[in-house]
Amino acid sequence: MIIQARVEAQNIAMSYGTNVVLRDVNFVIEPGEFFALLGPSGSGKSTLLRLIAGFNHAQAGRLLINGADISKVPPWARNVGMVFQNYALFPHMTVRQNVAFGLEERKLPRHEIAEKVRAALSLVSLSDYAERRPSQLSGGQQQRVALARTLAVEPQVLLLDEPLSNLDAKLRVQMRHELRSLQRKLGITTSVVTHDQEEAMTTADRIAVMHHGVIQQIGTPMDLFDSPMNRFVADFVGSINLLPGRVEQTHGTVVFESTTLGRIALARAPFRSGPAEIALRPHTLALAETPSDSTRAWLTGTILDREFVGEFVRYTIKVNDRTIIADQPHYIGRPAHASGNPIYVGVDPAQITILPPAHPHIEP
Amino acid sequence: MLKGATPAQVAVALLIAAFLLFFLVIPVAMVIYVAFVEPDGAFTLSHFGSFFHISLMRESFGNSLVVAGLSVVVATLIAVPLAYFTARFQFRGALLIQTLGVLPLIMPPFVGAVAMQLIFGRNGSVNLLLNDAFGVSLPIMDGLNGVIFVEALHYFPFILMNLVVALSNIDSAMEESAQNLGASGFRLFRRIVFPLAMPGYVAGAALVFVKVFDDLGTPLVLNVTNMLAPQAYLRITSVGIEDPIGYVISVFMIVFSLLALWMSALALRGREYATLQRGGSSLARRTLTPAQALIAYTWIVLVLLLVLTPHIGILLLSLAKVWSFSVVPDAYTLQHYSSVFEDSPRMIWNTVLYCGVAAFIDVILGTAIAYLILRTRLPLRHSLDFVASAALAIPGVVLAIGYLRTFRGIELPFTGELLTSSWLVLVIVYAVRRLPYALRSCMAALQQLHVSLEEAAQNLGAKQRRTLTRVVVPLMAGGMLAGFVTSFMTAAVELSATIMLTTSQSYAPMSYGIYLYMQSAAGRGPGAALGVLAVVIVALGTYLSHRLLRSRALDVVKQI
Repeated sequence: MIIQARVEAQNIAMSYGTNVVLRDVNFVIEPGEFFALLGPSGSGKSTLLRLIAGFNHAQAGRLLINGADISKVPPWARNVGMVFQNYALFPHMTVRQNVAFGLEERKLPRHEIAEKVRAALSLVSLSDYAERRPSQLSGGQQQRVALARTLAVEPQVLLLDEPLSNLDAKLRVQMRHELRSLQRKLGITTSVVTHDQEEAMTTADRIAVMHHGVIQQIGTPMDLFDSPMNRFVADFVGSINLLPGRVEQTHGTVVFESTTLGRIALARAPFRSGPAEIALRPHTLALAETPSDSTRAWLTGTILDREFVGEFVRYTIKVNDRTIIADQPHYIGRPAHASGNPIYVGVDPAQITILPPAHPHIEP
Repeated sequence: MLKGATPAQVAVALLIAAFLLFFLVIPVAMVIYVAFVEPDGAFTLSHFGSFFHISLMRESFGNSLVVAGLSVVVATLIAVPLAYFTARFQFRGALLIQTLGVLPLIMPPFVGAVAMQLIFGRNGSVNLLLNDAFGVSLPIMDGLNGVIFVEALHYFPFILMNLVVALSNIDSAMEESAQNLGASGFRLFRRIVFPLAMPGYVAGAALVFVKVFDDLGTPLVLNVTNMLAPQAYLRITSVGIEDPIGYVISVFMIVFSLLALWMSALALRGREYATLQRGGSSLARRTLTPAQALIAYTWIVLVLLLVLTPHIGILLLSLAKVWSFSVVPDAYTLQHYSSVFEDSPRMIWNTVLYCGVAAFIDVILGTAIAYLILRTRLPLRHSLDFVASAALAIPGVVLAIGYLRTFRGIELPFTGELLTSSWLVLVIVYAVRRLPYALRSCMAALQQLHVSLEEAAQNLGAKQRRTLTRVVVPLMAGGMLAGFVTSFMTAAVELSATIMLTTSQSYAPMSYGIYLYMQSAAGRGPGAALGVLAVVIVALGTYLSHRLLRSRALDVVKQI
């Protein structure tokens, strides 16, 4: 019986003394959506999450849940459930007592509490661990208890602060799936804070990329990957090659011109003419000893270095005055190109994204 | 969850501030004021002039400095080799050294002093033996020597523990890179190990200096009166509370205490020398050669024997029927214990009552201050910590004089009794003097409690008070209890302020009782029995608070 809540932030600004932490933040989390706040440390994402939970106060702006301004509501009255990065399980209580905590604060009758605790624990598959203490649980189990404890009170919004950062790599992938399917099953509006772009991309419906307290771009994972709006987003989500140049409209076609690429006709129209940067994803580049495919624009270069990643080989190539990275899928029997050899790099115009030059509002 | 001040928090802060103001700040300020003021209120330095005119005063001042200084020297001589052995060598005696670090502290110096007289005094066991064998006698316990000896033997653990911690914080990478660059042996010690360990040493040494400088009980029990603290006591009790000399002495004592504590704080701040990196290890431990092992163990055994003398001595004294001019008692009896439990159960009960109430007050205050400092953004809250901890810099004698002067004439409601002649003033002075210990325990306990636990409770719907009672207090309980125990047992052996503020035997606590008993030859037996009881209490308390805090390193250094 989860209420699907809509969360909205309007013009939120927050500072600690002279240190500006959040700058004109606006976003909407739709009911039932899995929304990620993604950014490096210091970007303000955790601050924003804690704002929603009520542990911070913004100096300006409004925070609305289902249209109601909650800025003045204290944390214990918001009905917004938060799972902390270090889980914050009460060490002096058993798993059962931990999960029952919020229900006891709501003064529910004893049998109802017992039933809800049982349901919450079975939701996270920890029914057999009810009498254990937090210190007797593994990291993954502790996280599930924290989740059960938060979900037991049926909050209208679920907040997760770096939920996977304390888990080891294999466990992370598994928990990612579990979190996502749990959220889908319950349909609860969820916001996750993470610095791991792979985690955000694989789990979230939409992502807000943050940097220096400003939201750089909000979009679906594919939107962010294919159409980054600025250099920071292009570089943060996946790997990227960036080349400077100019965009020109000539005779109805849009052309990008740079010292490295020469003139290349673009398939997708960027915003306007003028100086710009071209963004090339390493995996879209083709490498050949002689250029063959005429739909591509070919550059000449020399291989500086290569890294064998397994699924692909990553080449560092010098082209004119620039260094670019190209990823080539690896198959058994396919040899890698040798360092020091000359090579042709093929660019597919349809895969190019154009970025505006640095915008003062977005990249401080 | 740091927010601005709520009315409840402000009210609590004001209450604490009022307590500290009335029972610490004002009495000390009063003492300083009187020292600088004529009876009519005009500022004057004449009292200081008078002080320096009296030769006994000049002598006492010098003696106090000398005694404190030499105590540090002797304590250093005992502690440094022990610290070096522990940190430097692979050593099965490490546990032994740790015990050595605790044993002296459980015996209050004034209790052990009497036993030391009997063993090391002019006609004590050691000198009797030496006389018979070699015809010489060592004036170990004569006059100031006795004070130095007793104090050094009691306080050397402060230096030992601080030094061991400092040495163990030095990353072996420091030493190894120095060796790699060509340094070794003494040069290595002098250029690398010593400077890095210095702050730890200075911190310990400064504290030993302060404690010895301020100690009233030990000199009195040894009948040494030409030092500052005994002089202050004698002037106030014989000439009266108006005598300005007592106040002048108090000012000197405060100044030196503050100086020493300031030096200690400075030294510890420079402890950013703690260089132990993640994955690093402490100084490499060498194995002892047989010759080195012999020296090491000999030294340890010697120190152990020395350290155990007051303990053994007091035990023997409590069981001795007659003990004078003989190496060991001539006859034994349990009579002293029975007489203590028959005649003076009152004193034991008094100690339990006063120290229990005082410790309880300390824990409440300590928890409140810790919470205000760590969990709120109340302006000026750090000053509460500062003032409460400043009580460590105020000698017991000075605080007592301050109370006598500030509260003179104040009557208790309902009884018409004077505050300064009642047991309440003892409870207050113990609470104020021992608050810093409880405060540290509570701060440590709260610091270990990650704030996310409280936030999680609030997120689940618990308001402030519920969060406190369901999460914070249960998790702090261990630290709070440890604070209670430390406050209690250090109050139980407090003597300096007790001597000055106890006017009648009827409400005297144990420490005063021991002091009275020791003044007569016949009373030494029962006095020793009470002393053994005091030691047992302190030992139990130390053990309990170790277990409760569950962290050795924290504990002994913090008992300072």
